[in-house]
Order: sequence, then structure tokens, then C-alpha cells
Amino acid sequence: MNALARIFATPQGIVFFVAVLFALVLGLINPAFFTPATLIDLARNGLVTGIFALGVMMVLASGGIDVSHTAIGAFAMYATMKIVLGIDLDLPIIAYFVIAAIIGAGLGLINGVLIGGLGLNTLIVTLGTLSFFRGALLTFLGTTYITSVPREVINFSRTILIRIENAVGQMVSLPASFLVLVAVTIVLAIIMNFTVFGRKVYAIGGSEEAAQRIGIRIRRVKVLIYVIAGAIAGLAGMTHVTLSRMANPFDLVGMELNVIAAVVLGGARITGGHGTVLGTLLGVFVITMINTTLLMAGVPSYWQKFVIGCLIIVGTGLPIVIDRLARHRQRMKRPLEAG
Amino acid sequence: MALNLRKLTAGVALGAALIVGAGAVTHAQDAKHSIVTVVKLSGIAWFNRMEEGVKEYAAETGHDATQVGPASADAALQVQMIEDLIAKKVDAITVVPNSPEALEPVLGKALDAGIKVVGHEASSLQNVTYDVEAFDNAAYGRHLMEALAQAMGGEGEYAVFVGHLTAKTHNEWVDAAIEYQKEKYPNMTLVTDKLESNEQQQTAYQKTKELLRTYPNLKGIQGSAGEDVVGAALAVEEAGLDGKVKIVGTSLVSVAGPYLETGAINMISFWDPAKAGIAMNKVASMAIEGKEITDGMDLGVEGYNAIKLDGKVLYGQAWVDVTTDNMNEYDF
Repeated sequence: MNALARIFATPQGIVFFVAVLFALVLGLINPAFFTPATLIDLARNGLVTGIFALGVMMVLASGGIDVSHTAIGAFAMYATMKIVLGIDLDLPIIAYFVIAAIIGAGLGLINGVLIGGLGLNTLIVTLGTLSFFRGALLTFLGTTYITSVPREVINFSRTILIRIENAVGQMVSLPASFLVLVAVTIVLAIIMNFTVFGRKVYAIGGSEEAAQRIGIRIRRVKVLIYVIAGAIAGLAGMTHVTLSRMANPFDLVGMELNVIAAVVLGGARITGGHGTVLGTLLGVFVITMINTTLLMAGVPSYWQKFVIGCLIIVGTGLPIVIDRLARHRQRMKRPLEAG
Repeated sequence: MALNLRKLTAGVALGAALIVGAGAVTHAQDAKHSIVTVVKLSGIAWFNRMEEGVKEYAAETGHDATQVGPASADAALQVQMIEDLIAKKVDAITVVPNSPEALEPVLGKALDAGIKVVGHEASSLQNVTYDVEAFDNAAYGRHLMEALAQAMGGEGEYAVFVGHLTAKTHNEWVDAAIEYQKEKYPNMTLVTDKLESNEQQQTAYQKTKELLRTYPNLKGIQGSAGEDVVGAALAVEEAGLDGKVKIVGTSLVSVAGPYLETGAINMISFWDPAKAGIAMNKVASMAIEGKEITDGMDLGVEGYNAIKLDGKVLYGQAWVDVTTDNMNEYDF
């Protein structure tokens, strides 16, 4: 196999290839696509999905799945706003994120105890807690929109990292909330690649049995995984407030499949053991591009969902097909070489 | 201003309480109807506002009109409440169902027991005496388009949002609006299909960003879900296009307030739940007294002065338009 073929054989390589191909087609249809402004728009639109996706990637790498992350995010975001408005104190914006992360971690702990402690199935547990957290939010915290968010949040929303004018004279800006994604990316990359804990996550995802035999305390690691994923979801929720400048308790829930699709597109496998930070970000980039540029390409509204579905199936299915083919070819080769 | 308003409401509430109290003393009077309004959910701003209307009606007429609602928007809880009301033998039930289909059996039971039933936001209900709708969806859609056309000066490119492509009412509004535009404002052009916001502000925001990039000459946006206009306004504001893109749609002051204030949203419309509450109770009373409701009738409630009767369903023209000038009058 030559070098190029080897790159295409990796999941990230495929995703990257799909992304480039898609961008080329879009560029042909609408030349306005190839501008720095588009890139900034994509970065901004993929922000919340990206933060959520990083947490979900870690869960997937450990062989689990988490569909409750959006409910955790919504709960953390709304609870944080309620708390801050309730105590009526001038807190720096960083405190908002800390509170949201703590609330998220607390909810993640519930997932962790049920999954790690009691050893229940991750999909069943998180499907349950998705409904549980959301129900608790709407029942006990409220159903009204908070449109008068504190001044610190508005100021942070208005803080802009990059601001440029696009081809048609409109302003395009990257908000400071982008730094949250950067921070989560760096921290998670370190955890997954340079700590013993990160190795344990992959080990459990690869084979729980083997991981246990080499002395990994699986339960403890699992609890911690869901606590960290919860904290990340909390940060995503708070980031969502700074982007929308209001706290709507009905927001976020409903995008979990989109997030999981992004993570899987990025090379993580539902069966566990695989998943990288870089791949996940690539997956998010592709999903966001698909979701927010079909209009530009002139795809009618009714067709957009269909196209998104097709791209997800192709994007996630292709790496597996290629993988199978490669193995098949190897198997076919073996007897010949032996002979 | 806010303080005055609060005093005023307190005064009205006190007055209402006194009159209701006085009414209770003369409970034995024959002409007094007991009418209970069952809402989707109690405690939220929308239905608190409806309760003000119900109380106002009770105070004005001396009838025993009250409002109840479950703590969560659950059809099963509404069914239980209506069962209780049937057992109590009230004269009439007015209801804003969470799920019209789920209530059909219990409402049928109420009708069998001789109780008058008046629905709201449920024109598909079969087991009702009457159903009161704030407006005919097509007429409302045309009304929104007229406002958008006025703001745009009758020309230019525009786009429309619906919450979901499957949402029946939103599509009825928007389809009528587009038809009206084609007839009356030929210089306006719809740039693309109906856009779907999923009733999420951020989705409306992202789609608006994309719209602006793809159609730089866009001059107007009409929203359907309450979040549509807010997401669109945020995108327009961030793009530095305030005032160049006119935004009109259905929303509430509690949702769209900040953008109405800055003028990023030109106008929002909705219907006043207090008025709907009064209209429902009036219709219920008339049904109890055996009076017939006829097409073109005046219910004596603002917005319901010339109702359109279609089978059991009556339509008003009860939309309320809110701009930056009168937004302080509405607290929901």
C-alpha cells in the first residue's frame, strides 16, 4: 500500500477527504463559499456541537455512549442563570462557566454511578437520564425564557476575537466563546494522550475483560469518565447562552444525534477503543458544514434532511467498508505468499 | 411606570376578589353559571394572562368563572381534571387542550352529562359545543405579510421561516402570506423555500446567516415560531445590517423584547390570552343560556367583534401587533 492509500484507510483521512470533496462541490455551485468569512462562520456555528462532541468522544472511546449530554447542557445552562440571577452578585464570566461545569459534573456523576457503580447499559441509562434531567429542568426550574441575562454575559457575547467583512459587505465575527472550545480541546487532548487515565479509557473501550485483568479499576474510571463528560456538557450549555444571549430551557435537547454523528464521522467507533480529539473536531467541522451550507448550495428545505442523512451514512459507513476490504485483501494474499 | 402598572394590577385583582366574594354570598341566585377553564399548564406567563381575563369576566358578570390547569403540560392530567369537573356538575368547561385527540373521550362524556364544552386552539376537536379561535390562520398570515410589505416598501427579496416543515398552523400562515404577496406585491420575491428553524433560536440564527450570505440583497424575513424572529434579529445585528433587513413574525414580548427595543425586530404579533379567555367564557355562557351563535356576531370582546363561524368553530380577528412603542403593555 502506498502512502496516499494508507492515509485514506484511516477514518480521519476519509473524513478529511469527504470534507474537501464537499467543499469543492459547494465552491463550484456557489463561489462565495471559498472565503475566510465562511471558515469563521463554520467555526462559530460548530462551537456548541464541538464542545459536546469532545465529551461524547471520550465516552465512545471507553465503549459507552452518552445521549444525555444535551439535557445536562440545558440543565446546567438554565440552572446557572437561575442561580446567578437569584444571588444577584457581580461575578466574572469565568465563574459562570465554573458553576455550569460543576452542575454538569454533578449530573454526570449520576450517569457515572448508574453505569460504573451498578454496571447498567450505557445507552439505556443515558436515554433514561436524558428524559430525567430534561423533565427535572422543566418541572422544577421552569419553562420560561430568560431574556434578560446578566451584563457580564452580554459583554462576553459582544467580545470578539476576529471580525472581518465578507464578500458582500456583511460583518462576520468569531466570538470569544471560541476560547472555551480551544481550552476543552487542549485539556482533553492532554488527558487522552498523555495521562494514565486516558490510556485506561482506551483500554476499557478496547476490551473491558482485558483491562480488568491488567488491574484497571474499571468502575472508578467509568464514573470519572461520565463526570468529566458531564462537566464538558455543562460548559457547552453555558457557551450556548453566550451565543444566543438568552437561556431557553427547551434548547439543546434534540441535537444529540447530530453530535454523535459528528463524533462517529470523526473516527470514534460505537464499539469503543477508538476516537481522537483531532478526528472529532474534523467530524464536527464536516457536520456543521453539511448542516449550514445546503441552503447556499440551493438544496430545497425538504431535501436538506435527506441529504444530511445520506452524507452521514456514507461518511460513517465508508471507513468501515474500506477497513473490511483491506482485511479481505490481506486474507486473500496470505495463502498465495505461503505457497 | 412598572410600579404604576403593578399597583393597577393589584387594584384590579383586589376589585375582582371583592366582587367574586360578593358573588359568593349570593350563590343561590339562579342565573349564575359555573364555568371552569382548563388550561394546558398553570403558572406560566401565557396562562396567567388568560386567568386575568377569566377573572375579569367573573367580576363583570358575576358568574362563577375560574381557571385550573395541571402543573405540567400533560394530557392525562387534563383528563383527570375534566373528570373531576364532570363529577362536580359544572355548567360549562372551557378547555385549551395539550392534545385534542387525547381529550375527545372525556369531553364526549362531559357533553353527555349536559355540560357545555368550549375549546380553544383546537379547531379539530369533535366533542365540543363550540371552539373559539383567535383568528383564521390564512387571514393572520396575510396580516403578517401586509406588515412585512409595508416595512419593506412593497419591494425586494424576502424569506420565510416555519418552526417545523410539518407544523400545520405555521405552514397555513406562511402559505397564505406568500399567496397574498404574489397577488398584491409583485415586486417582492421569495428567495427560497420555507426555512425550518426547529423552533430553536440558534438554528434560526444560523439559517439567517446563510441566507444573508447567499442572498445579499435580502430585505425581509417573516418568522412563525416565537424563536424565529429572535434568531434572525441576532444574525442581522451581528452582520451589521440593522434596519436594512426588516423582521416581522409571531413571537411574545417576553421572548423578543430586547430586539423589539433596539428595533432589530420591526413588529411581532400574537393573540392576547386574556381576551381569548373572556371570549371562551362568553360563548360558554351563551351556550348555557341556549342562545345561538351566528356568523358575523359581535361577542363584545376586542378582536372578536365580527366572528366568522365555520361549523362549530368561531374565528376572531384577535391578533395584537406589538412594536417598540407599545411593548411595555404586555408582560408575557
